[in-house]
Amino acid sequence: MAEPLSPEAADAYDPNPPESELEAHLPTKRMVVNLGPSHPAMHGTVRMKVELEGETIIRADPEIGFLHRGFQKSCENVTWTQCLPYTDRLNYVSALMNNFGFLSAVEKLIGIDIPERAKYIRVIGSELHRIADHLTCVGAIGLELGGFSAFLYGIEARELIVDRITELTGARLTTSFGRVGGLERDLPEGWVAKVLKTLDKVETLASEVDALLTRNRIFVDRMKGTGVITALDAMDFGFTGPCLRACGINYDVRKAHPYWVYDQLNFDVPIGENGDNFDRYLMRIEEIKQSHRIVRQALQQIPEGPVILNDWRIALPPKSEVYGTIEGVMAHFKLIMEGIHVPAGELYHSTEAANGELGWYLVSDGGGRPYKVHVRPPGFAILSGIARMVEGRMLADLIPTFDTINMIGGEVEQ
Amino acid sequence: MSPPPAKAPPKHQGFVTCTIDGAEVIARPGTNMIEAAKHVGVEIPYYCYHPRLTIAANCRMCLVEVSNSPKLVPACQTPLSEGLAVKTNTPVVKESHRSVMEFLLLNHPVDCAICDQAGECKLQDYYMQHDFRPSRLDDRKLLRNKRKVLGPLVVLDQERCILCTRCVRFMDEVAKEPQLGVFERGSQERIDIFPGSSLDSNYSGNTVDICPVGALLNRDFRFRARAWFLSTSPSICTGCSRGCNTFIDFFGQETYRYRPRENEEINKSWLCDQGRLSYKYLNRDRVLVPTLGRGQDAQETSAAEAANWASQKLKPLANTPELAVLASPVASNEDLIACLSFVKQILGVSRIHAGGRPAGEADHYLMTADKNPNRRGLEWIANGLGLELKPFEDLVSAIEAGSVKALYAIGAELPAHPPGFEASLKRLEVVVVQAINQGMLSAYADLVLPASPHSEDEGSFTNVDGFIQRFRPAYPTRGGSQPHWKWSADLARAAGLAWTASSAREVFREGAKQIPQFASYDWDASAPPAHLRPGGGPLPAAADGRPPGYREWGTPRVRGI
Repeated sequence: MAEPLSPEAADAYDPNPPESELEAHLPTKRMVVNLGPSHPAMHGTVRMKVELEGETIIRADPEIGFLHRGFQKSCENVTWTQCLPYTDRLNYVSALMNNFGFLSAVEKLIGIDIPERAKYIRVIGSELHRIADHLTCVGAIGLELGGFSAFLYGIEARELIVDRITELTGARLTTSFGRVGGLERDLPEGWVAKVLKTLDKVETLASEVDALLTRNRIFVDRMKGTGVITALDAMDFGFTGPCLRACGINYDVRKAHPYWVYDQLNFDVPIGENGDNFDRYLMRIEEIKQSHRIVRQALQQIPEGPVILNDWRIALPPKSEVYGTIEGVMAHFKLIMEGIHVPAGELYHSTEAANGELGWYLVSDGGGRPYKVHVRPPGFAILSGIARMVEGRMLADLIPTFDTINMIGGEVEQ
Repeated sequence: MSPPPAKAPPKHQGFVTCTIDGAEVIARPGTNMIEAAKHVGVEIPYYCYHPRLTIAANCRMCLVEVSNSPKLVPACQTPLSEGLAVKTNTPVVKESHRSVMEFLLLNHPVDCAICDQAGECKLQDYYMQHDFRPSRLDDRKLLRNKRKVLGPLVVLDQERCILCTRCVRFMDEVAKEPQLGVFERGSQERIDIFPGSSLDSNYSGNTVDICPVGALLNRDFRFRARAWFLSTSPSICTGCSRGCNTFIDFFGQETYRYRPRENEEINKSWLCDQGRLSYKYLNRDRVLVPTLGRGQDAQETSAAEAANWASQKLKPLANTPELAVLASPVASNEDLIACLSFVKQILGVSRIHAGGRPAGEADHYLMTADKNPNRRGLEWIANGLGLELKPFEDLVSAIEAGSVKALYAIGAELPAHPPGFEASLKRLEVVVVQAINQGMLSAYADLVLPASPHSEDEGSFTNVDGFIQRFRPAYPTRGGSQPHWKWSADLARAAGLAWTASSAREVFREGAKQIPQFASYDWDASAPPAHLRPGGGPLPAAADGRPPGYREWGTPRVRGI
């Protein structure tokens, strides 16, 4: 058997290979294949360097950074409020959860409590986006395993949710919704009824996806027993969210450290047992249903009241005050020009985003701009475990595995 | 009746010991409470108090709680006494801050959007720190004169005024020209000039600086820039030989204003109007490219070609009396050290002539008659290098007599324009001028080399009293201009001499060895701290240190900034 080729040597392209290299020898060499950075199965732009022996993966090495934007450094140059649009671009499939997670962390650093109604709206927005995120993930799994119909159903349902989100925030994708201290605007008129109707439709479509995939023989064969990771390994890698729960670990930030109003809502956290692709898929299917429960409860319970704090050191004054009184224009000017003066200090705060624990480590020096913004994206830890999940398995298993970990370039590469 | 109890001896002999917010303060008797509080990190807000003016105690913003009074007392006016406990953050004091702010803002117009002071306004700062409540006014605000022109440099918006009387006290006590007063009483009270007079003091601009709000405005600066777009660099005023310390406020590569920087020995906190307006030559009529040829024939050329041409033309005249050198005391110490070393070593000149701006009037306080910032430095450097320093008139008569054929001018400023001087300039065979601005000398020069003023490089000036003062660069050199010292290095290199100095700092370090007055001057340690930028605006410099608004290709021509 020929000497295994080192990845470096394999990378080096020789335009005039010696005659012997062109001959096909049966005892195969190891081959290094680039999956990505622009490959339809590589969401975002991640490059996977895969070393193959035949069809068996010997080594898998994800190379990230194609979507690096300097998120953390950019945040240091703008006011706390101006960080918000940057957070949209983290997990762009469910931007609201990034927005609200960041705002919650800043609010905790200041030490303020936001109005009850704002908390409910944050829960509703987050759970709608969780449904959208999971639908995208599940649809994409179907798509990449050859089941295009499931993808279409999933995306049709997601589109309905995106429409509601657009009505709420004014943007399809880059929501930039919410402000420190609450939300900049209340629910639009008639929105609640529309959401309830949407939920019905989404439920039907999601169950279509479920029916198309969950008992589909081809799908199950590709998913069951592939991409396995043990609970211990998953914890060591720092897995959170559906990928951790698929291994049988019961950890959900919403239950472990309830924030907003999650402790006043009834919902279950699905737990898997095998830690394989199929369980990760099932987690998402079940979480979609649980999110439906949460949104319906929240829409029922949501109280009337203000959606943002009435403190001009934190929230912008109403426009009538800004245009009509010197007090308002001064508060507005100072908040816009200097930002919210967050007391000096540091903190870690996390929320449960679609893919797991979205953590924020913030440092303030007491000025209007962050001294440091570090984000712990759930996808980063999970992506680091992909080699463990696919090494020694077939190349074909990489595709569903990469699907079910649902790596989002925006948050992993920041 | 028993006698009052004997006073306890002070805790520290000769000092007053008291506590401010629990922190012990040991101060000299007579120390102002606001200043004492600053030393223990306690900020007491104030409007009318100014460390260099008498106490008025009329703004009521600095009210604090003290142990020997049942009522709140103004911190600016209350003497520190032994054992006094001062509290500045109790609920009563906080409520007092809020109430005072509310009163001050009661009749304040909604002007931030059009007010020059926005961004450096104490009303905005204190409102956000101490009040942050909505307005409770349900009536109309009082209307007053919004644009009362007080004098050539100052305009007053009486609606914005909070009647702290800083400006009135400044004119009385510092400028000693009482031109402002408080007229009427109660809600009709206003600052104004006395009938028939105008605020034409040479120190009127300082009233704008000390105005804590946007009431007094500089007519030269008004509506030209927003404060938060400006960056700030510590510098020295070049308007006269006093060397007042300034901040240069700039955007991109344009200077927008000078503000006084504190210096106890020279200008305290003040700046005269003439100096304040002297920044304009930094922006206007600048020479920005080297040009070769006289008058209509002038052609742009490259720096390297220009240096070669100059050295070719000047070298043959070296060591002859036919080559005259004119040195301007507008140039910095470093510029003069480098250029005069060059003329002495390479051109073999033993006698130079002093150029510079013509003398003007002096006034009763800061302004001197000599309008050049560095005459003392020129004298010291010429002396240290062994050069004879002659007056300008000698040069004029030598040129007229025809004994001079070539002129090398370091700085194009001329102290006088004697009749017939133009014609005699035309007769010269070679005129090489390093000029900051277009002028008569550059018009008749064969070679004009664009020079950078003090705003574009670091260096030092020696003022009339012999204080050597460092300044920092505000922005990169404009166009193709470079500092005088760099031109002399280029000329020396073109003449075939190895020239090692590559910065003003190195020039000074080399040159200071020969100039006794400079020998003990610590050039690095004397630099004003660059991070000291009060009111420099909330925009930080970019990560690479470039000021906000800096463009490689020059200042964008945007209306309004």
